[in-house]
Amino acid sequence: MTSSAAARSDAGTRDPFALELIKNALATLADEMALTISRTARSFVVKEALDFSTALFLADGELIAQGTCLPFHLGAMPFAVASVRRTYRERIRPGDLFITNDPYDGSTHLPDIVLVRPIFRSGTLLGFSAALAHMTDIGGRVPGGNASDSTELYQEGLRIPPARLWREGEPDETMLRLLERNVRVPDKVLGDVRSLVSACLLGERGFLKLFDQYGDDFLTHCADLLDYTERFTRAEIAKLPDGQWQFIDHIDNDGIDPQPIRFVVTITIAGDEMTIDFTGTSPQVRGAINCVYPFTRSAALACVRSVLDLSIPNNAGYFRPIRVIAPEATIVNPRAPAAVAARGLTGVRIGDTVFGALAQIVPELMPACGANAPEVGVSFGGIDREGRTHVYLEFLVGSWGGGPDRDGMDACTGTLVNYANTPAELIEADLPIAVERYAFVPDSGGAGRWRGGLSLERHLRFKLDRGVLQIRSDRREHLAYGLHGGRPGAPSDALVVRANGLEEHFPSKFLTAVGKDDVLRVRLSGGGGHGSPLQREPWRVLADLREEKITPAHAKAAYGVVLEEAGDVVDEPATRALRAKLEESPAAPARADKPSSGGCRA
Amino acid sequence: MMGLRVGIDIGGTFTDLVFLDDRGHVTTSKVLSTPDDYSRGIMDGISSGAGLHATAVRQLMHGTTVATNAILEGKGAQVGLITTAGFCDVLEIRRLRMPALYDIRWQKPPPLVPRRLRREIPERINSQGEIERPLDEAAAAQEIDMLLAAGVDAIAVCLINAYASGMHERRVRDLIRERNRAIPVSLSSELVPEIKEYERTSTTVVNAYVLPPVRRYLRRLTQELDASGIATPLGIMQSSGGVMLADLAAERPFNIIESGPAAGVVGAAELARILAHPNVLSFDMGGTTAKAALVQNGQFVRVGSLDVGGGINIAGRLLKGGGYHVSAPAIDIAEVGAGGGSIVRVDAGGGLRIGPDSAGSAPGPACYGRGGAEATVTDANVVLGFINPEGLAGGSLPLHPMLARRALENGVGRSLALPVEEVAWGVHRLANATMARALRAVSTERGLDPRGFALMAFGGNGPVHAATLAGALDIGRVLIPPVPGVFSSLGMLFPEVEHHYVRTYKRPLDGDDLAWMQAAFAQLASEGAEALRSEGFAPADQAFDRFADLRYSAANSELTVPIARDQSAGELRLSFEDAHEQQYGYRSSEEVVEVVNLRLIARGLSSSGVPAALRLSAPTAPPGRQREIYLGPERGWITAPILGRFDVPAEWRPGPLLVEEYDSTTVVPPGAQVRRLAWDTLEIELG
Repeated sequence: MTSSAAARSDAGTRDPFALELIKNALATLADEMALTISRTARSFVVKEALDFSTALFLADGELIAQGTCLPFHLGAMPFAVASVRRTYRERIRPGDLFITNDPYDGSTHLPDIVLVRPIFRSGTLLGFSAALAHMTDIGGRVPGGNASDSTELYQEGLRIPPARLWREGEPDETMLRLLERNVRVPDKVLGDVRSLVSACLLGERGFLKLFDQYGDDFLTHCADLLDYTERFTRAEIAKLPDGQWQFIDHIDNDGIDPQPIRFVVTITIAGDEMTIDFTGTSPQVRGAINCVYPFTRSAALACVRSVLDLSIPNNAGYFRPIRVIAPEATIVNPRAPAAVAARGLTGVRIGDTVFGALAQIVPELMPACGANAPEVGVSFGGIDREGRTHVYLEFLVGSWGGGPDRDGMDACTGTLVNYANTPAELIEADLPIAVERYAFVPDSGGAGRWRGGLSLERHLRFKLDRGVLQIRSDRREHLAYGLHGGRPGAPSDALVVRANGLEEHFPSKFLTAVGKDDVLRVRLSGGGGHGSPLQREPWRVLADLREEKITPAHAKAAYGVVLEEAGDVVDEPATRALRAKLEESPAAPARADKPSSGGCRA
Repeated sequence: MMGLRVGIDIGGTFTDLVFLDDRGHVTTSKVLSTPDDYSRGIMDGISSGAGLHATAVRQLMHGTTVATNAILEGKGAQVGLITTAGFCDVLEIRRLRMPALYDIRWQKPPPLVPRRLRREIPERINSQGEIERPLDEAAAAQEIDMLLAAGVDAIAVCLINAYASGMHERRVRDLIRERNRAIPVSLSSELVPEIKEYERTSTTVVNAYVLPPVRRYLRRLTQELDASGIATPLGIMQSSGGVMLADLAAERPFNIIESGPAAGVVGAAELARILAHPNVLSFDMGGTTAKAALVQNGQFVRVGSLDVGGGINIAGRLLKGGGYHVSAPAIDIAEVGAGGGSIVRVDAGGGLRIGPDSAGSAPGPACYGRGGAEATVTDANVVLGFINPEGLAGGSLPLHPMLARRALENGVGRSLALPVEEVAWGVHRLANATMARALRAVSTERGLDPRGFALMAFGGNGPVHAATLAGALDIGRVLIPPVPGVFSSLGMLFPEVEHHYVRTYKRPLDGDDLAWMQAAFAQLASEGAEALRSEGFAPADQAFDRFADLRYSAANSELTVPIARDQSAGELRLSFEDAHEQQYGYRSSEEVVEVVNLRLIARGLSSSGVPAALRLSAPTAPPGRQREIYLGPERGWITAPILGRFDVPAEWRPGPLLVEEYDSTTVVPPGAQVRRLAWDTLEIELG
């Protein structure tokens, strides 16, 4: 424990019950702000993907509570408040309401609009409430604002620096009109902005109520809350071993240049502090998957959250003992005006890389790499014979990697996001698309003592005469890694079966015209396995066979399990013999990188 | 001859029975539950309470956990599922959501049907209900034979777009019947013809899964009731707060999943109407959890689905997807893991935490003297003097206040360096803060201010916390119903017979011609009339409520709006927009409004009235008793007289005082006042 933390710990907390009540009240308030958004927002990404966040801050910009929304956003919003404070300083007035979506000044890509409301009592600035949501559209070259093939920020849509949406209680009409004229679906975007306003005002009312209830002690209690959270976090980090660990993962390419993009993370733990350093990561790229520092940092912080006590409150106290370093001009901290719209994919890979390093630190906890974050985006747009525009956009989420004592979950969102899928029946009722298949792919989970989760696949038949299909995917070359001898998950895939029966294969990121009765078959990657597949108990292999999650050929090739003639009993002597043989001549190493330096002490 | 109404609520430890006669006499009976065969406990309770008057029983209502337990314990039927080709994994993929953020150890519950018993058949109906690909009967027959050969106990059928047409599902059932006349078959198009394939599949599978055990249980219970001379049909409480007769419940058990918790809210709503206090927050605090529900204008609020077995979700409505989805109307109840037995602990940062771990009934709180060493909320309440230190249940369960003190001093107290009563007071307030989240979930999270409601508190621990909890939420009025410890059983006596129907009709609300809608409602009403007729309701005693789920076509969620029989499309649009403005704060008059679902509730009107007054037994206390209670350092220890319920006058009497009765204690703090209303309900007005 460092001396500063020890000093704080000795001082303790002044009133533990008041602290607990304030902690509870602030968390509830941030959640109520979030519920306001989820009740009133219009866009599907907000309601079904929970792609929004709410937070409360003290006057100095310290986060004191964040709503239970998108884990990925943990710690991203303080940058918005900092931008507003830096830009307006003492010119922040009661009744003001600020807006920004500038990824280089407070936001993390243009579709994310953040609102910041200063909270005053008797002319004194006490704090801020803030709310963020992913907009359905933000103008720019491609509808939806998520295109991965832009090469500069200017193509990606309307860029709003920290600006006033309200000035001393009066809405700024110029800003609203500018927004209205620059987006493709103004009713949805303005509707969502309106719901952010409601959330900020609710947060302000609740904050002031607490302030009035506790008086000047309120700010003391808030400071105690941050110290308590820091203490809690340090105590949790101190439970981890000291040392330095590194992990490397890749994105196949940015869709423009062919070379792989390397992610290197080095985690150092010294006592009750942790450093997460991305030095060695590839330079920024031409495509739009660059990820600005605030998003890199929040993705890393969200990963670490998973290995500490889950009841640590979400506030700035949690950030204090954790340092995130991302060198400038890399894909994890690009310089303006690099394109960033599709940084979600990079956020996912940052997560995979940090989890890979954490797996060396807490091997008893961490699973192998999953395909359970939204790295595959499918969008389809077209105009029907009556002139109506149809747009389908979905981020597909698959399965988990095998864990240290359990198989990877087949189909479940991971811990960095909390996405829901779109029901096939809703797609069919609302869009000129028929869903022909939504199912697991047998044999696709990485083999291991604990099997990786299966790939999911979706088959979509298009019913418009003409339309455009865009896919953003990855994990063709660099697969979801296994751990401790577990095999990587199966690669992702996308092919279009044309109406005439011709099968057309595509790279991981592509755009193509589709016509009536063309069928897209898109497949996510599988999760990595954990431990040697030859150690998997034959009865588990048999159970997977019975469940038709693997085939007999796979049981034999990947697990060395041989069945008797009848097909439902393990042939034990033959299995032992085959496993012994496979043990001597292991299969070729996986293409995904293995842990490069396991647990070397600093 | 005297008629007797009986309400029966089965819990994990006790089976509670309430008997109410025509003149309002209430007697209660608490017997140990008999999990090997719950009907035995019920028969014990009836004979101890109704004695020789079994033949006088003229209404018998029952809340049962048999369906829930079958799911929680994994003891339901072996189910086979038949789906459309390409969709056998819908049940296991679910909606992908996780109920807990950051939790890398979370596991989703295993699917109720293993993959090998989820069989696909070639067929396709489109979203308009038209056949795109005819049912391949030979292939279907083959899959059915496979399931029957595998020995399944029940079959669920859920085909894609079957909400729009059940034609193929019905044909599949015919094919099953040709092979096996006895096996239960659940069709998604009959149980819940609503759009969204996962939700419909899961509901149909849950129904098939719990059907055999529920049917077995209800048959045995009905036989035993018959044998004891009770002729009245057995009514089962549904999750919706309505009742259905046992025969139908055995066919559609997905409707009775939250049978027990619903009853308390039904009772709260009925009492709210009797007292002309139409807006109350119903609050039920037991040993391990606290439940909150909203009653507005005398009506409880319903939601369209339940998540069964997902555990308790303190975060409220933001995180979903932990359990098994069931699309069935249910009273909207929020639950938190804080009750009398909840354990208080200190975390690594020195913060305090209450629950969700519970000491349960064994060992129970430290003060039970059964070996429990960790401090609980009840231990704090004993130290504060709120609970009679001589014992619970009229003294039959003795308490040890010294053990409560020691547990608080050794556990939480050690790191705080505070007097034990201050620690206890802190624990009491923290429990309130946790429980306030449940109350906020059903009020503020819906845009309603809790200050506009009275808090109606029951359950063994509800009256202990009611006044301080109300204070924490700025609620000015508290109601403590009669027999608070078994109030849920009393609630069993008030529901109406009720059947819910739903159909998805996705189309814009344009023009003014609603003939299609009237025709659709007529169809639903004829189904409802048939069900009510079979339960003995004459046409004059049948009522039908119509609702439509509407939304702006660009929005993602619907609002349910009631519809009058001869309403025009314009009027309907207007009432939707009013509701939208109330809920979301704006209207959008230029947008297209879309119909998603039509709903109908068929109600059987009961002629048996509710007695005007209750008569409780032994509700006075010996005079002159008093106890020291502690309500925080500012007020210090205060002497509070102890009253029985009947000692509380009809005029206001100022606190501090305690109202002690067999199954609970009501705390009236100084500055507050209390009086006794109709139905022997206590009303507390806070200062």
